[in-house]
Amino acid sequence: MIRLLGTKHLLGHRLWIKDFPKPTKQIQIPYLIVGGGISGLSAARQFHKKGISDFLIVELENHLGGNSSNGENKYSKYPLGAHYLPLPNFQDKELLQFLEEEKIILKYDEKGFPVFDELQLTFAPDERLFYKNNWQEGVVPKEGNLISDDLEFEKFFKKMDVFRTAKGEDQKYLFDIPLHLSSKDEKTRALDKITMKQWFTDNHFTSEPLYNYIDYCCKDDFGLGIEYVSAWAGIHYFAGRKQDSTPEKHDSVLTWPEGNSCLANHLKKYTKDKSLKNHLVYEVKVENNKVIAKAFDDVNKTSVEIIANKVIMASPQFVNQYLINDRKAFTKDFHYTPWLLATLVVNDLFDNFSFPLSWDNVIYDAKGLGYVYDQHQTVNQVQDKKVITYYYSFSSADLKKTRKELYKKDKEYWKQFVLNDLKVAHPDIEEYTEDVEVFLLGHGMISPAPGFIFGEAKKQAKQNIQNKIYFAHSDLSGISIFEEAFHQGINVVNEIVDGTTVDS
Amino acid sequence: MGKKFLRFEFLLLFAVFIIATCGLIYELVAGTLASYLLGDSVKQFSFIIGVYLFSMGIGSFFSKFFNKNLLNTFVEIEILVGLIGGLSSVVLFLLFESVGSFQFILYLFVFVTGFLVGLEIPLLMNILKDRVEFKDLVSNVFTFDYIGALLASILFPLVLVPKLGIMGTSLFFGMINVSIAIALCFLLKRELKKPSLLRAKAIFSFVLLLVFFIFSNDILAYSEGKLYGENIIYTNSTPYQRIVLTHNKSDYRLYLNNNLQFSSADEYRYHEALVHPAMSMAKSVENVLVLGGGDGLAVREILKYKDVKKVTLVDLDEGMTKLFKTNSVLTNFNQNSLNNPKVTVINTDAYIWAKNNKEKYDVAIIDFPDPSNYSLGKLYSLNFYQTIKTILKPNAAVVIQTTSPYFAPKSFWCINKTVMQVFPQVDAYHVYVPSFGEWGYTIAINGFRTTFNTVNRKADGLKFYNYQFDRFNYFTNDMISNQIEINRLDNQILVRYFDEEWGKLQ
Ligand SMILES: Cc1cc2nc3c(=O)[nH]c(=O)nc-3n(C[C@H](O)[C@H](O)[C@H](O)COP(=O)(O)OP(=O)(O)OC[C@H]3O[C@@H](n4cnc5c(N)ncnc54)[C@H](O)[C@@H]3O)c2cc1C
Repeated sequence: MIRLLGTKHLLGHRLWIKDFPKPTKQIQIPYLIVGGGISGLSAARQFHKKGISDFLIVELENHLGGNSSNGENKYSKYPLGAHYLPLPNFQDKELLQFLEEEKIILKYDEKGFPVFDELQLTFAPDERLFYKNNWQEGVVPKEGNLISDDLEFEKFFKKMDVFRTAKGEDQKYLFDIPLHLSSKDEKTRALDKITMKQWFTDNHFTSEPLYNYIDYCCKDDFGLGIEYVSAWAGIHYFAGRKQDSTPEKHDSVLTWPEGNSCLANHLKKYTKDKSLKNHLVYEVKVENNKVIAKAFDDVNKTSVEIIANKVIMASPQFVNQYLINDRKAFTKDFHYTPWLLATLVVNDLFDNFSFPLSWDNVIYDAKGLGYVYDQHQTVNQVQDKKVITYYYSFSSADLKKTRKELYKKDKEYWKQFVLNDLKVAHPDIEEYTEDVEVFLLGHGMISPAPGFIFGEAKKQAKQNIQNKIYFAHSDLSGISIFEEAFHQGINVVNEIVDGTTVDS
Repeated sequence: MGKKFLRFEFLLLFAVFIIATCGLIYELVAGTLASYLLGDSVKQFSFIIGVYLFSMGIGSFFSKFFNKNLLNTFVEIEILVGLIGGLSSVVLFLLFESVGSFQFILYLFVFVTGFLVGLEIPLLMNILKDRVEFKDLVSNVFTFDYIGALLASILFPLVLVPKLGIMGTSLFFGMINVSIAIALCFLLKRELKKPSLLRAKAIFSFVLLLVFFIFSNDILAYSEGKLYGENIIYTNSTPYQRIVLTHNKSDYRLYLNNNLQFSSADEYRYHEALVHPAMSMAKSVENVLVLGGGDGLAVREILKYKDVKKVTLVDLDEGMTKLFKTNSVLTNFNQNSLNNPKVTVINTDAYIWAKNNKEKYDVAIIDFPDPSNYSLGKLYSLNFYQTIKTILKPNAAVVIQTTSPYFAPKSFWCINKTVMQVFPQVDAYHVYVPSFGEWGYTIAINGFRTTFNTVNRKADGLKFYNYQFDRFNYFTNDMISNQIEINRLDNQILVRYFDEEWGKLQ
């Protein structure tokens, strides 16, 4: 069986035409949050922390979570987007605090290091790579390299180690999370002007396995490959995470069968009885010292007018440009990489047994980013069927064109595409596949192409409008990761309540 | 004419060479199989060579009764040798279960192949005697015969067995044998009578051998049980494992996925040591939990205490517990323990079960398979022991089989150290079980109200354990390992230790 699903892009497309019915209902609420992704949910939590409970969160899908949502079948839950959170930086007290609240951090040890719940850390073995016809441990190509490759890998990782700990004159890390904490050091910021590929060449790297590995990493975090992504972002992937929250300097990650939907679910408790789902906000404007937001109820096919004192737009900028006037000029610089996820139910996953099935299974030089074994974080001995989720990002120079093509192809096409990509490592996977669910994310994540992260467009898009309409979404950070969305939500509420701002 | 004749002679001599090679191969196959399956290789090889040579003699003797159609007979025998020799190992493998007839059939094969090969040489001499000078003939025939023998005996151990396996080797040479016959059918078309009939027979035999050759792995898998070197009395594949029970003299052995689980001769040492220390130390033994141990042998020991009111056994494999509830040989071993009214058997995943369970126990006996893969490794993780702690009463005792401190000291102490993170009192001990070697356990007490040297109760009639725990918890230097990490789900370091240590031995 094959199914083709996706975010509600058709409803979103109605924003162009705006043929929505006139509002027949009115809601008054002091604080309105538009968008129930991690940024919106995190804002809800921060309101709660500030003792504010009169807010409403409006979401167009039938569930909260945005890109941190999940699906479920008979055998397992599986992610429909984000699927892991790397161990937080030790400096990131807000995040540590949240993880402690949710019992992901159980306690702090004598030396002050957080103790993470064993069940939520990726079980071993966590990663394997299919390289030169064999599975090997880890995602860095190792067995079968030339000596020159090994030397380049070593040199590359040394450079990244330096970047990871280096600070600018302002005593800030050159690369930090959330991104706005990073140093203003001019030389480092100049890296945002070139592509990662350019940086690779400028630094006299030539190794093909290294190139492929970096390409994989860039796509993994940004959707964009080494050719198109900013070098600052590319290096941030390696240097932003300080690996300093465990004594062993772990680079492990936290993960769950349902992916980051688990984190979204923790946040959802702050929106109990305060959310409107299946509601597409199609217009937001300031009028008479109030904000008027109009939303279309996709279930009852009616519209509602929401009158608020302040609004947080936790929706992406490509949407906001249709809701609020005068945003198109800078929004054109926001590019989003489409993603495809495919969840397969397989009777078995035969391969050549060179290294056992891991949480993350990457195939060298494949089209996609490999697959995650969704039942990896279970303690059972055996599984009737295995459930895996395959990830593919449409890295290209023209993302708009790519997106159009994405929606043109049918499910049979995508199914074959996914299976063919997996066949390299699992030649008879087609025979063992029982079910394929393809999930398309047309505007998957913001793409930090050169010039975007420290560019004007982002800056302008972040400006609040008359201290009434505020913006918080991971696309305003420039890189799409949980931590950024989480802090966007916190910072925007602090800005509203305390009048504090963070600059970039 | 001269040229053509040369070819004729050469062909037949080449056939001799092949027959000799093949004949010796069949003999070696028989010898190897016999010593594999029956043991005592000196005796087996010596008998087989003797019988083979003797039957060749008989063959030679009988060759004089063949006078007509010599060439046809020669080719026919060639086919027959290929067929019988080639198939011999298949038949022997399949028949191994019935040991009695096995020896008979083995020697019958050796005899028949020897006999046929013995027929060939005189026959050939007869064919060629009018065409070649006698002196040349004899010397040529025997030269080829012996070169073939040399080739076979060198190739057999160095190339053939490692590459093709025993069954593959004999089938392969059967095919070579028959293909010579096929070649002769074509090349000596004019000299042979009814060459097409002969050819059909030869091709049929070749195809038959080929089919067996292609499926030789399946046949081998089917008869795999016969390689335990003991008499198999029961085999069963459950969804989780392959259970094999063997019998040899008074000893029964149970194998799970080819790993020895117990030997009836000495399992009492293992199970008494597993059960009685914990049972004697615990504050109370009313409610006892067994995880794994689907053979019911630990339960048998537990039931020796009158105060036990309830035993819960959780084992994933229903096939296993069913077998040990119903098979009369096996219920004899566990004294029908799994059918005892005090005992509840639950077939489910122990980890999941423990997470959801609400009841609390006085004693927990944990007897899982060794941590040889990442799935099993989870059952030895910190989180697993923390989970177990939640279903234990205060001052409950828990014991875990923790593989061999001698063969796998890192693995052994890794589990011990992991348990130490969870329970207030932890110790380790070991016993010698002849069929396993030095074997060990980690024991822990969930509180401070009792100690490892407390004996709160004793059972009668033990053969091995004497309730002196301090006789078992001393470890010599060769069983100690330091600098060990704790086994967590996110590092599964134990599986790595285990693989490193047992891998070294294999
Ligand atoms: C395929 C994929 C894999 C990823 N993997 C990871 C990962 O492993 N780890 C990680 O940290 N991050 C990952 N991410 C990034 C992930 O997007 C962020 O972690 C985070 O979920 C972003 O949250 P957000 O709130 O900023 O945005 P979104 O999730 O985009 O939230 C925006 C919300 O607004 C709603 N909305 C939009 N328009 C309207 C409207 N007009 N009216 C009402 N509601 C509206 C949307 O439906 C959505 O729910 C991944 C992203 C993708 C696409």
